[in-house]
Amino acid sequence: MSVQPDGRRPVNRFAADDPDVIVIVGSGAGGGTLANELCQRGAKVVLIEAGRHHQPEDFINDEWASLNQLAWLDARTTSGSWRIAREFPNLPAWTCKTVGGTTVHWAGCCVRFKEWEFRIRSEHGPIGGTSLLDWPIGLTDLEPYYEAAEDRLGVTRTNGIPAPPASNNFKVMGNGARRVGYTGVSTGRMAFNTVPRDGRPATIQDGFNYQGDKQRAHWSTLTTEIPRAIKTGRLDLRPSAMAIRIEHDGSGAVTGVVYVDAEGNEQRQKARVVCVACNAIETPRLLLNSASSLFPDGLANSSGQVGRNYMRHLTGSVFATFDKPVRMYRGETMAGIVTDESRNDPARGFVGGYYMQLLSLGPSFLSTFLIPRAWGRDFAAIMEQYDQMAGMWLVGEDLPQESNRVTLNRDVRDQFGQPVPNVHVDDHPNDTAMREHAYAAGESVYAAVDALRTFRVPPYPTTHNLGTARMSARPEDGVVNEFGRAHDVPNLFVSDGSVMTTAAAANPTLTIVALALRQADHIEQQLKAGAI
Amino acid sequence: MATITAAARTMYPHDALPDDVYARVGEKLAEAGREDAGTRRTIEDGVSALNDGRPFAERSADEQLEALKQIEGSDFFELVRSTAVTEVYSDQRTWQLVGYEGPSFAKGGYIDRGFNDLGWLPDPEAGA
Repeated sequence: MSVQPDGRRPVNRFAADDPDVIVIVGSGAGGGTLANELCQRGAKVVLIEAGRHHQPEDFINDEWASLNQLAWLDARTTSGSWRIAREFPNLPAWTCKTVGGTTVHWAGCCVRFKEWEFRIRSEHGPIGGTSLLDWPIGLTDLEPYYEAAEDRLGVTRTNGIPAPPASNNFKVMGNGARRVGYTGVSTGRMAFNTVPRDGRPATIQDGFNYQGDKQRAHWSTLTTEIPRAIKTGRLDLRPSAMAIRIEHDGSGAVTGVVYVDAEGNEQRQKARVVCVACNAIETPRLLLNSASSLFPDGLANSSGQVGRNYMRHLTGSVFATFDKPVRMYRGETMAGIVTDESRNDPARGFVGGYYMQLLSLGPSFLSTFLIPRAWGRDFAAIMEQYDQMAGMWLVGEDLPQESNRVTLNRDVRDQFGQPVPNVHVDDHPNDTAMREHAYAAGESVYAAVDALRTFRVPPYPTTHNLGTARMSARPEDGVVNEFGRAHDVPNLFVSDGSVMTTAAAANPTLTIVALALRQADHIEQQLKAGAI
Repeated sequence: MATITAAARTMYPHDALPDDVYARVGEKLAEAGREDAGTRRTIEDGVSALNDGRPFAERSADEQLEALKQIEGSDFFELVRSTAVTEVYSDQRTWQLVGYEGPSFAKGGYIDRGFNDLGWLPDPEAGA
């Protein structure tokens, strides 16, 4: 046993040349959950995490200061016609670089995929400009894992867990939605405790989610999976360790991971199995940066699909002002949902569906995002109505396109000397049509409760990044099989949202956890059979 | 510094806020200028252009607005604006003005302090 640099947690250490360990890169929803599952089943796991090991009491309830503490701010570039390339050219996504990954900042929405969302391609046939493909699995394959995931995350309205109470912000959206005739209106299925459960307290509605949850009422891998894995004595957690390359032998099997430690020294950890779970921008980057003479286009990339089909969901929002106080910032920021538009109804002018979900931002973020680059007396007057504002987020399915992709930008290097990822996105007409529909629907909800003014907020850097190492039945169509196992490399797995063949409308974390649990079953079985 | 303070107030004018709030912008820019020579040059050139003729800070509000409209979209303008929007709306005095109570963890959250006190709409059905 040795002690972490932060001095708080004794953890197990495995030797750098231990040939039996499973190396997982990334400690978020996929990697953190998989690490715990494998440790519980007796495997030895080295968990490599680029971020530091913060604790909930260290989180900062101040939006910009917290962004600097938790967000992934390493150099990235953007291209394409999406607004992000103009407005946030170096911040294509808002994910976390910390032990626990992006589970540290999530609000907790847990929506299952619908049966048809696994097979949009066969529902509609090919759609021009897209690279649509059916998932190699369906809802029935995932259902038992969804059940296990909901229990594990403590999702409200499942397993007898009470529903979240209606907050001020929900009262506005909920009443408006009912008045326009929506029926799928509720405070949602959320992965925060409404009653004490699983060693964590009930929420005190402190109003901060995206800045980390100081009180541990939310499920995160930081506060649940990782400490439990450490308790087994079989987890070797290495924070502040940036993986830069996966190595392989002459047969094409991976043999270990090279990373840069907190002191800036290059380290090499041998591995029996490598699982990549770095979120859908860093996962393909690591695979592409691992190119070799055997894999000249990048590891596991014989299909050419690594980095392609990047999806980020619809991501718009609608805010509204009222002549009476709302105080949307009090309470859980996302505990409210309208599900009516999540159906598949091409008569609306687009395929796929979307959800309206509650959203609150503080003045710091709202002033930047509400009307990008706005200034002057009119804008200041809008901000003075902050306490009379309500807000919602629009999250829907965006379609995969081969040209929406993560590539290596060899002209820009990060602090480790590695080429940075470039994220290229052009909206598909289907995405644009859905966004317009969603804006109008959101505005009608607030109009129904007498909004003074509504605001269509353009997409900002998203937390949902998907599809860049997609699952496919046939090796030529994707990067991994139905278990997240690389088609090209038998002992390499992808364990995050990169594997999603299509995005569905749902917030992805619940599905990432369900897929990780399914992958853990598969890895255990393969290890027992001596197949890896 | 007075130029930046006046420019920041023109960009995000809240009459009830003291100059101290807007002075944060100049401090932040000075810090950025110390870290990067190019940024320092952008700031110095921009400030000196704004002060061409009568000092910017001494002009009327309308004149200040007009001068900023003239340079809207320039690197200097965008540097000041993006810094101003962050600094002004992250200041607790601004939060108080716009009715934002901020962190609540140390006070026990909002669970007993009004997270559901909106009374001008009925309580919605819980839903399924």
